[in-house]
Amino acid sequence: MSPSTDTDTHSDDRFENLRQELRRGSLPLAVLAALRTEHYGYTLRKTLADHGMVIDEGTLYPLLRRLEAQGLLVSQWREEDKRNKRFYRLSPDGKVILKQLLIEWKGIHASLEDIF
Amino acid sequence: MELVDRYLQAVKFWLPRNQKDDIIAELSEDLRSQIQDKEAEVGHKLADAEVEPILKRCGSPLAVAGRYLPQQSLIGPALFPIYSVIIRSLIFYFLLPWLLLWMGIVIFSPDFRTDHPGATLFATLEPWWLACTYSLFFNTLSFALLDRSQARSHLVNNWNPRALPAVRDHNRISRGATIFQLTVVVATLAILVQVDAFHRVFHFFGLAITLSHQWPYFIWAITALNGAEIAIACLNLSQPRWTRLSASLRLGLDVYSWGLIYFLFRANLLQSLSSNDVPSSEAYKLVSSINLWMASSAIWVLVIGAVVVTFDVRRLLRVSRPA
Repeated sequence: MSPSTDTDTHSDDRFENLRQELRRGSLPLAVLAALRTEHYGYTLRKTLADHGMVIDEGTLYPLLRRLEAQGLLVSQWREEDKRNKRFYRLSPDGKVILKQLLIEWKGIHASLEDIF
Repeated sequence: MELVDRYLQAVKFWLPRNQKDDIIAELSEDLRSQIQDKEAEVGHKLADAEVEPILKRCGSPLAVAGRYLPQQSLIGPALFPIYSVIIRSLIFYFLLPWLLLWMGIVIFSPDFRTDHPGATLFATLEPWWLACTYSLFFNTLSFALLDRSQARSHLVNNWNPRALPAVRDHNRISRGATIFQLTVVVATLAILVQVDAFHRVFHFFGLAITLSHQWPYFIWAITALNGAEIAIACLNLSQPRWTRLSASLRLGLDVYSWGLIYFLFRANLLQSLSSNDVPSSEAYKLVSSINLWMASSAIWVLVIGAVVVTFDVRRLLRVSRPA
């Protein structure tokens, strides 16, 4: 491998790490916002992916459990198309927190725009 | 679907007992939905080879299960830096020198190799292995317990900016150390005068010790060394900072003193011992053993001297660098 390819790979790795870090921070907000409408895991993933937030199952399901444990989501197992699926939606507390997070997010966005 | 079931079983193994079924049911539903969508896309039932990439993308069973587990660490980030410093010090200042010393003895001492032939040579490392195991184990255990105790928050949160150590000045020469050094040198000279060290025969507790004819030369060399040490100590007291001059003098003096000790060890200094209580044949053996031991230890004097001189050279390079 030539030195320039090495540097490119290193640079790509650094970008990828920072990109993932940036996205990881915004995932809970994206999930809470998407769950204003009820979804089960797979459709939630597809909805997020359709909006450009690709999230793998290994990240989404533990996150859903954490948010549910914090009381921000409620879930229910239900049968649909002859298969049992777990449906999630925002809890009343989740709605309040989502509102606060959106204000915070807009503030961060405005600050960054200001800095750029 | 056997491949999916095997995958789910592997994930399930690592999950918390009370959540296993719930998590597996949800993950299973997701994987089966993905496979169903893929089958609709390609128009046939997926073979194992086509299911495999879906599972691979999902992640290894251990990694997937790990994301459901609480983030745990044996030693948390608050205490880890202290733990790391202690372990590194233990390795670099205790275990590694011990290992190097053992290797040196093995390489330079044919007697040692003869006494411990074959695999028994490695058995002599047993104390080292035990020291490694115990020191690393008990340090790790202590820190893991400390991390889980009340003392941790006391240690981490109770601090005072005024109690922090002063900024370290590498070029400052401690007056206390210089005075200590001066005291040792003066005491050494006083002892040399007191025992009349320029003679070759000494009497202690009924024992007559005769040194070789080289001894007076060594005493002159030691006296000169002590004189130079006193001069440098006075210089350091008047100007307690390392300069090119003081660092060069320190380097020169350390080369001289460690070289002197090396030759002292190799000089077969002890000529004879005599006492009414010790038969002359025993005394002769004792003299030979002491001289042999000193000669074989001379290599370690060189090693220690080399370490000291390395520090001196580093100091000289540091003070010679433009600010």
